[in-house]
Amino acid sequence: MDSLYLLIPVALVFVAVGIKLLLWAIDNGQYDDLDKEAWRILADEQKADTSNRDSNGGEDSK
Amino acid sequence: MIAASGLESFYQQRTAYSERPAEAEFSLNDQYLIYDDPDMAQRFCQREDNGSVTARLLLGGITCAACTWLIEQSLGPVPGVHSALVNLEQSRLDICFDPTQLKLSEIFSRVESLGYRPRPFHASTQREQMSAEYRRDLRRLGVAGFGMMQVGMFAVALHAGDIQGIEEQYQGLLRGFSLLVSSFVVYYSAGTFFTTAWRHLRQGALVMDLPVALAIGLAWLASAWATVSGTGQVYFDSVVMFTFFLLLGRFLEARVRQKHSLTWFDAESTLPDAVSCQQGGQWVTVPRTQVVAGDVVLLRPGETIPVDAEVVGGTSAVREDTFNGEHLPRAVVVGDTVFAGTINVEGALEARVLGSYLESRLAALQQSVEVAQTAKPQLARLADRVASWFVAVILLVTSATALAWMQIDSSQALWIALSVLVISCPCALALATPAALTAAAGSLRGSGVIVRGENALEALSRSSHLLFDKTGTLTEGKLGLATVQLLADVDQDQVLAIASSLQRWSNHPISLVFQDIAEAPGFQDIHYHLGQGLSGQRQGLQYRMGSDTFCRQLCATLPPAPDAPLYWVALCDEHRALAWIGLNDRVRPEAREVIDDARAGGLQVGLLTGDSSAQGPLLAEELGIADVHTGLEPQQKMAQVQRLQEAGAVVSMVGDGLNDAPVLSLADASFAVAGATDLARTQADFVIVGGDLRAVISTWRKARACRRIILQNFGWALGYNLSAIPLAAMGYIPPWAAAIGMSLSSLLVVANSLRLNRQPSR
Repeated sequence: MDSLYLLIPVALVFVAVGIKLLLWAIDNGQYDDLDKEAWRILADEQKADTSNRDSNGGEDSK
Repeated sequence: MIAASGLESFYQQRTAYSERPAEAEFSLNDQYLIYDDPDMAQRFCQREDNGSVTARLLLGGITCAACTWLIEQSLGPVPGVHSALVNLEQSRLDICFDPTQLKLSEIFSRVESLGYRPRPFHASTQREQMSAEYRRDLRRLGVAGFGMMQVGMFAVALHAGDIQGIEEQYQGLLRGFSLLVSSFVVYYSAGTFFTTAWRHLRQGALVMDLPVALAIGLAWLASAWATVSGTGQVYFDSVVMFTFFLLLGRFLEARVRQKHSLTWFDAESTLPDAVSCQQGGQWVTVPRTQVVAGDVVLLRPGETIPVDAEVVGGTSAVREDTFNGEHLPRAVVVGDTVFAGTINVEGALEARVLGSYLESRLAALQQSVEVAQTAKPQLARLADRVASWFVAVILLVTSATALAWMQIDSSQALWIALSVLVISCPCALALATPAALTAAAGSLRGSGVIVRGENALEALSRSSHLLFDKTGTLTEGKLGLATVQLLADVDQDQVLAIASSLQRWSNHPISLVFQDIAEAPGFQDIHYHLGQGLSGQRQGLQYRMGSDTFCRQLCATLPPAPDAPLYWVALCDEHRALAWIGLNDRVRPEAREVIDDARAGGLQVGLLTGDSSAQGPLLAEELGIADVHTGLEPQQKMAQVQRLQEAGAVVSMVGDGLNDAPVLSLADASFAVAGATDLARTQADFVIVGGDLRAVISTWRKARACRRIILQNFGWALGYNLSAIPLAAMGYIPPWAAAIGMSLSSLLVVANSLRLNRQPSR
């Protein structure tokens, strides 16, 4: 049971890191637009599509 | 459903996109050339170190994520664009581009060609504040969430220890760490409750945050003392959980509202940024802000007039629905004044500028909106009224308990008094309102009504008066064919076909009436006479359509217009008068039902209109409205509502026009109907998207239901407290039972509120 003296502080460090990460993400604006992000997964498919086409276009021009 | 329809549009856009290259098919709009001017550009652009420029544009007309996708995808491959990102919640496009390859005017034109209205994005303090507040709320919520998980784990161990037995050193350890974590949560997340409660307390107001702050503060203090002294009981888990639940409830409620808030809209942004100004005998395009009094500007037909000006050349008609809500234009000739924000309908005008935007009539309108915002009476919230006596009762009961236990067993007195405070924790009470409001707003959105106002549902449920605007609200806001009075031996279809073919050549609002009517073939030589009407030739016969005098010049036998209060247009040929065509603004088919329902529900119905013609009283009579005020300026509408409010009425207002914006902002609860101007939308508490006026009544019913649910929630929360407090006062409730009881009562309140999500059964 003495391990509690070590494990609980370790857990708290993890929590502190988690909170820090979350706050960083919020301040970075990652949560500013919750609506669009929900759609991004749908848009990505097309994005890959166009980037393929773009890279093709790039090769053509070379 | 949304996902399905959204996906469809994705694929439609996608095929459309791959069929044509992004570079093609857009035309540079001259109007945007002024943004290439560095002075104009630097106000919304930022130059990066590597030479690229980041511009921020505000986009009008963005409604869903598919729009953001379309814009990002269309602009992304344009040569010179490094990145294009759309922020949906702020309708903002951040575009990073290479200024040597691409001009701003081209970006504007491209966005416009996609069907959106680009404007420079100017950061406003209000907008900054809103996004800062949003982030702050989210940070608090996140910290409280992490803290709740951590303290909850310790609490499980502690509660288990209470039952099974636990060594004192481990209990001390767990309590110590709980104290550590919860202190941080109370300081970081719950701080807002303390500051709000204190701020209101200093003004002598008891708000819901006060019992909340008391419960959190005292429970935390007591638990901290118990931890330090090694006696008594700890309530850290309750404190943190309570904080998290409350923050979550409020965050969700705020989000539902903020999602559609457009508080940053101002009237000036409706004006065009580019103006044709006469300089040295030539017309040059200059930014609107550089035009000064005395300059002569060119006002083209179809454009919004950018400044208040006096006409010095040309004749035309201007649509002034901005100020009076009417859609029929006013004829203007040399010497008349035209106002910024109105629309020039017929012909080009030359006009001398009278002053800057700040001196214009539109700015005055905007100002009265701001005045109205501060003049709006604050209705006391139900929650705050409950809170005020709740605090008193709790403090009384706690003191009584403490006193009683002093007599019985003074060593227990402190702990039992504290457990009373924690048990009476107003979590369910504080959640009662936000949970119900969030559920009601969600349900309303499903039926096409967006809730924007903070206190609007409560105010609406208590409203005693329901006032309507006329044009565009009770009526459809556009002219329609009312009657045709034939004057010769022709049939009606023929008359309408002739009218239709003549009206093709006009851009006066009247022409819209005839848009869907088949034309009569064979017309030639059609001319549009400004402010008078149209003339044309067919099979050797001259035809004229328009005003009384204009037609009489061709056909002297034209009888005077019939008496009925309609908008009459004459049609004649060389030999005979053909018809008088009566037009009017049609009443919405559901208007009658809405007004009957409102009256049946005990609301006083009234009509406030800017129209001074006989149409107002006539319509009121038709719909059975007794209280009618016509010919009102925006400020006079405000005065009417203010008079009612001073007499103690709670006023709801339904409107649509820019001229309704101040009164919408002043009313206790307000609706903007479909097609309302942006400024009216920003001031309204509810925006009806679907275009069905019946939504006013269904929203009102929902608001009443919401109030009922809130009262039920209060009833339950108080009932729970009332039954638990005696037990706590007798010293029977251990901390774990307090925590469970609190969570269960909160869950019940939330579940009860969710009943509002059910669609009304008709």
